[in-house]
Amino acid sequence: MKKTTTVAFVRVEGTLVDRGVLSASVYIASNGQGLTERLLRLGQVALTAPVYGLLGQNDRVLANRLAYVAARGMSEDRLAVLGEEYFEDILQERILDSGMDLLRKAKAAGHKIVLLSEGIEQFTRPLVAHLAETLDIDELPESLVCNVLELRAGEATGRLLDPVVGGHDSGRWASQYAQEHGVDLERSVAYAAHGPDMLLLAAVGNPCAVNPDYTLRRAASQADWPIMEYTL
Amino acid sequence: MASISINHTYAGKHVLLTGASGFLGKVWLAMMLDRVPEIGCIHVLIRKKGLRPAVDRFEKMVGSSYAFKNLHERFGEELSAYIAQRVEVVEGDVSLPNFGLEESVAQRLRTQLDLVVNCAGLVDFNPDLRDALGTNVNGGLHAAEFVRSCQDAALLHVSTCYVVGNRSGMIEEEVHANYAPANPDFDSEAEFTDLQQTIDDVTAELESSESEEELKQEVLDKIRRRGLDESNATLIRNMTHRQRQQRLKNRLAEEGERRALAHGWPNTYTYTKSLAESLIARRADGLKYTMFRPAIVESALSYPFPGWNEGFNTCGPLSYLMQTWFRHLPAKAGNPFDVIPVDLVCNAIAIAGAALMLGEHRPAYHCGTSDRNPLTIDRACDLVSLAHRKHLRKSGSSAMERVVLSRLDGVCVEGEHLLSVPNIRSVSRGIVSTLRGLSERVPAKLGKSMDEWASATEQADRQLDVVEKMLDLFRPFIHDNRFVFRCRGFQEHDVEEAAFRFEPESIDWRHYWMNIHIPGLRRWSYPAIEGKRVETYTPEVAFVMPGPNQAQADATATHAKREVG
Repeated sequence: MKKTTTVAFVRVEGTLVDRGVLSASVYIASNGQGLTERLLRLGQVALTAPVYGLLGQNDRVLANRLAYVAARGMSEDRLAVLGEEYFEDILQERILDSGMDLLRKAKAAGHKIVLLSEGIEQFTRPLVAHLAETLDIDELPESLVCNVLELRAGEATGRLLDPVVGGHDSGRWASQYAQEHGVDLERSVAYAAHGPDMLLLAAVGNPCAVNPDYTLRRAASQADWPIMEYTL
Repeated sequence: MASISINHTYAGKHVLLTGASGFLGKVWLAMMLDRVPEIGCIHVLIRKKGLRPAVDRFEKMVGSSYAFKNLHERFGEELSAYIAQRVEVVEGDVSLPNFGLEESVAQRLRTQLDLVVNCAGLVDFNPDLRDALGTNVNGGLHAAEFVRSCQDAALLHVSTCYVVGNRSGMIEEEVHANYAPANPDFDSEAEFTDLQQTIDDVTAELESSESEEELKQEVLDKIRRRGLDESNATLIRNMTHRQRQQRLKNRLAEEGERRALAHGWPNTYTYTKSLAESLIARRADGLKYTMFRPAIVESALSYPFPGWNEGFNTCGPLSYLMQTWFRHLPAKAGNPFDVIPVDLVCNAIAIAGAALMLGEHRPAYHCGTSDRNPLTIDRACDLVSLAHRKHLRKSGSSAMERVVLSRLDGVCVEGEHLLSVPNIRSVSRGIVSTLRGLSERVPAKLGKSMDEWASATEQADRQLDVVEKMLDLFRPFIHDNRFVFRCRGFQEHDVEEAAFRFEPESIDWRHYWMNIHIPGLRRWSYPAIEGKRVETYTPEVAFVMPGPNQAQADATATHAKREVG
């Protein structure tokens, strides 16, 4: 079968918005039901944050799992409402214009855009709906790949369902995706900002490191990948 | 499973509807007129109010209630004729035998009627026992007697799921002739007789000469305190009369509550509704009937439009409270909160009525959600908080509301809680007594300020008293009992028309509470709670109920047209 589809894999955090997982978990924790619950959840996030920083480069899957423990016991209803609020209050203001330009270019080049996010569904969907409307890409919400919180009886257990987005598995995942969807990876592009995304970038023919962290910058320089820098 | 067509079953049928001026009655009437144009006639029983005849009240109701908005928009200036061809307003009162109908009207109805839908009910939790007995018990009995006197009619008696009283667990769709939750030897007929006797005894007691003398003395004291004219005999007579009425009302309300609690019901409303059910079942010989028991009837899901609501209802005061600084709702997490949208209830009434006319009915139908799509009280509490949060963040009237109040969520608390209303009240009473005590021992200026603070605290305490009493009323339903109402009766009827199906599973609770119910309450119920004027509907073309002659002419013309068609 001739592979005709080309994809632009775009990591949301760092490329399209300058807010990450910790910001969302702080928002979740500080908006629990009742003051006592908020204090307990914030305490939990405060304990998790340094560990998240330490694990960030090495085991981002575990780091993400730890970050979302803050949502444990929170109702699905509350998470849905907070997700919408988080977009309106925080994310909308943190969308990077140059990131939007990347999406426009990818669309113009005829790439199918696949967004990858470490964020949970409830917190990522409103952003993606906004992007789809602004860029007039109807299929964008369907091609979102993000983390999913386990829910039991309408409450979050605090566990992320496998596979967890954000780890070193992204390269293997991209190859599998390409096989399933008939994607020509050699002609595809990828934009990412974090060390664990190295293998994702390595999987495509046209990788680009955007606002890279220390690890990714070093890898991009060694592999001679283009590096883009932009802020709000 | 037998298939039922609502349109075919009701075509050409005559239905008598009582309680049409209530929230449920209005929506059902509007829905049937809107969706079942081939219905023979709905005879709407309305009470005369003072000098205002029933027709005037009906005219005002159709001409100003949003329940009839769809009909106004659909028919415009044709609405008067459309309704006149399908509705007959009959003046009557459910608390009177034969509904207090003129004999000629009663005689005609006896030959015409196919179905009586008895929607009339007094839904106050602890009203004057005479009123509760008149509407809830006698109303049901009169409806049953009237139906029995008809040639071929059936009775759909609208009751409530909560007739079950203080009990927990799965509640079956059954009717018992002598039911009392806490009294296995309950005899409904004896209770009914005793109840009437009690009312007579209390009335006689309060009208006795000793009581009258005591009352007169109280009135004179009041007149003196207010500095009014002690020699004004008319004033004394009027005040004594008012005082007597108030005292009788309070005594009978207390008596109703006492009896209800003694037999295991949480209030007079559920007690009298249950007593009516038992008595109807006991006297049911030869009567074709069904007990229709809705749970907590709330805002419409879609008909007449999403969010339509009227009056206080159950959720109104509770959810209103949670928009204020009140935060701790005494409720047991995990208990079902059986809310059902009014339009689904109307669909269910239409189905049960059709099944009844076809003889395929069950003795009782529960109409709720706790069995098929349960919503817990803690989830409801969270959804109310989230709905208020969403509203206040954008539309709060002050920065305090937008920033602080919007983020203060209500939570369910079980049993004693540090910030429970009784605890806050006991602290406030302590503050008042300390301030009052100190005010006499400090310099006059400071003492005056302390008195003012004490008065302000007393006023706050009075408001908390109202809140505490209200929470006590709701406590049995959200804290003490864990009801699940079996709701399988409607699954036995396969309804052909999609618009009339009863499918509580289809309710998306988050969408319902956040985008339909709470916004609906905010528009229709909260103004009433705040004592403000509630918005009324103004149709483009005013509704006028044509006189009997005109209506008769129109009806004849329509029947002729239908026959030709």
